[in-house]
Amino acid sequence: MRAVLALAPGLRRAGGRDSVLTTSLAVTAFAVMTALTLSVVGGLLGFLGRAAEPVGAFQEENAEFYVVLAWTALVLLVVPLLTLGGSAARLGVARRDARLATLRLLGVTPREVVALTVVETAWQGLLGAVAGVAGYVVLLPVWTRVPFQGSTFTTAELWVGWPALLVACVAVPLLAVVSGVVSLRRVVVSPLGVARRQTPPGMRAVRVVLAVVAMGAFMVITSFLGAFGAAAMAFGIGSLALGFGALNLIGPWVLGLLGRWRAHRARTPAQLLAARRLVDDPKATWRVVGGLGLAGFVAGTLAVLPMIASTTARDADAAERAATATLNGDLMRGGLLTLGIAFLVAAAAAGIVQAASVLDRRRELALQVLAGTPVAMLDEVRRREVLVPMLTVAVGSAAVGVVMLSPVLGFAGVQDPGGLLLLVGCLTAGCLLVLGATEVSRPLLRSVLAQTQVRPD
Amino acid sequence: MPPPPPAAPTPEPHPHLRPVPPVTPPLPGARLSARGLVKRFGPTTALAGVDLDVLPGESVAVMGPSGSGKSTLLHCLAGILVPDSGAVTLSGRGLHDLDERERSLVRRRQYGFVFQFGQLLAELPAVENVALAPMLLGTSRKEATELAARWLASLGLAGMEDRRPGELSGGQAQRVAVARALITGPEVVFADEPTGALDQATGTDVMRILTETTRLAGASLVVVTHDAGVAAWCDRRVEVRDGRVVADVRQQAAR
Repeated sequence: MRAVLALAPGLRRAGGRDSVLTTSLAVTAFAVMTALTLSVVGGLLGFLGRAAEPVGAFQEENAEFYVVLAWTALVLLVVPLLTLGGSAARLGVARRDARLATLRLLGVTPREVVALTVVETAWQGLLGAVAGVAGYVVLLPVWTRVPFQGSTFTTAELWVGWPALLVACVAVPLLAVVSGVVSLRRVVVSPLGVARRQTPPGMRAVRVVLAVVAMGAFMVITSFLGAFGAAAMAFGIGSLALGFGALNLIGPWVLGLLGRWRAHRARTPAQLLAARRLVDDPKATWRVVGGLGLAGFVAGTLAVLPMIASTTARDADAAERAATATLNGDLMRGGLLTLGIAFLVAAAAAGIVQAASVLDRRRELALQVLAGTPVAMLDEVRRREVLVPMLTVAVGSAAVGVVMLSPVLGFAGVQDPGGLLLLVGCLTAGCLLVLGATEVSRPLLRSVLAQTQVRPD
Repeated sequence: MPPPPPAAPTPEPHPHLRPVPPVTPPLPGARLSARGLVKRFGPTTALAGVDLDVLPGESVAVMGPSGSGKSTLLHCLAGILVPDSGAVTLSGRGLHDLDERERSLVRRRQYGFVFQFGQLLAELPAVENVALAPMLLGTSRKEATELAARWLASLGLAGMEDRRPGELSGGQAQRVAVARALITGPEVVFADEPTGALDQATGTDVMRILTETTRLAGASLVVVTHDAGVAAWCDRRVEVRDGRVVADVRQQAAR
């Protein structure tokens, strides 16, 4: 085992410039994930602190509600943040798989292959976690400028504490290791399976049934929230998580269907190739756009906030109106903040995964260009790979969000033009942000082609 | 200065190719000519003045040990690399002063390529891998797919249209690659170690199909190989050492 582990630094160096780039991307992703997670947890702790020691009547009356909202934001963001971490761990996995598969064929045991992966991903996770902690500290002054409950938070309120930072430095490498080892399963099971790519088995329609059941449960639970008080509220947050689970279950399946439909209708090589890639691995595409799906869900629920503001302001005295205005302003601000973070995470995931895809496919891309395939077409395929699923997922998730919250707020929410405009504006901004992030891989593609033009083998 | 040689008839000559007056005229009637090719990579001289002519329908094996410059020669002939000096002419027209986009167009329209492995896109079924080439030239998908299916059937792959490269044997995948290289009616097909990843029997089968199909299509074939058995399938054997042609032998090609 020791002899094999001693190979780890050598294997990493053997990757050359690619390895440096892949490692940098992975570390960046872990850093973004850590910094934003700590920020969101800091926000939750801030609200918990104010609930424990409320200042003023407003905080006293609404403390519990704000804690519930902070938990909701955490639930909303935890999936895209974990997905970003998972994507980072999978970075360059195809190249690493090939190397490790060769080692397996040379007689290295599955345990030793796993150990090599653990070593390789753990230190990336640790570096990212440390950088993320630094990022969280840098971001603290930004968050202290955002007012909630009538006043801004202090740094002390949003400080998660040294133990939490230590936990992050242990948990992130652990997540990296788990994701890396899970993605290695096929190398361990069948090293030849890596070299000989085969048609992946299709996803079963049972995913839809499970997703529909989960969404139905959420709608039923939320419609009875008022009757059961605070306990039901906690249960509601749990069912919100259930709703997200449903989205993640149904997302790849829907993308697979979309890919088949697009492949059937494709007329140009770029359309055909982008559609086939979607059919080939809808889960990988979901990892890119899934975060945006969640952001779309948030935007869908956000669309009803202006409706709340307009209805609750009627028939109230000045103090009540002020309190309501504060509450609605906070709801809107919190929603937008959550949405903004979700879009940032989605854009980071999209940019990183696309860059990794260019590196993993470098030989294939180089041979296509040698045979006369225009680089502009490869660019178009790259854009289509993200654009088509992204639009479908963002709009689809927003619609699901509105439908799922309809028992609580009613369809009237979407009839308010302010809410709809906000929804469309958020989705447009988010899509542009993600598209912009994917353009990072454009110069990378050219660089990779320039390096591999002579000897693609 | 001698006038440029008459161009061999081509179905669709590239509009951007301009006549080039080479230092030594190419062989009359040559489809592909290289004159005085020099290519350096830093201090290493990969090609040190190579002359080569390939006639229409002719198959030429370029042989040599590793590092002899044979792959660099192929890349220069194919317009993938631009030589430091010397010129490459295709059907009497020069490639040397075309920009990358124009050379890419030449590779798409007038050349076909068969590599050792990996040129087929893993996500596409065999028929779409082949159809992609004419689609890139503007042929409709329906027409390209029908044509691709006919090519696959003619190469003994009927019924395997929907299989993806990972579901084909090495020999079958190389047949798909041959179909993809020839479907656009290229003037020259380049094959870089086309049997390098195959066992001997399968390699023989692929070479038979490659040489026969290329000859029937009226295309010239340039095969880069270090395998004498592969070279035996060609009309000529050119040996390259230290960036120079040291032997050019016409032979009776195996059939």
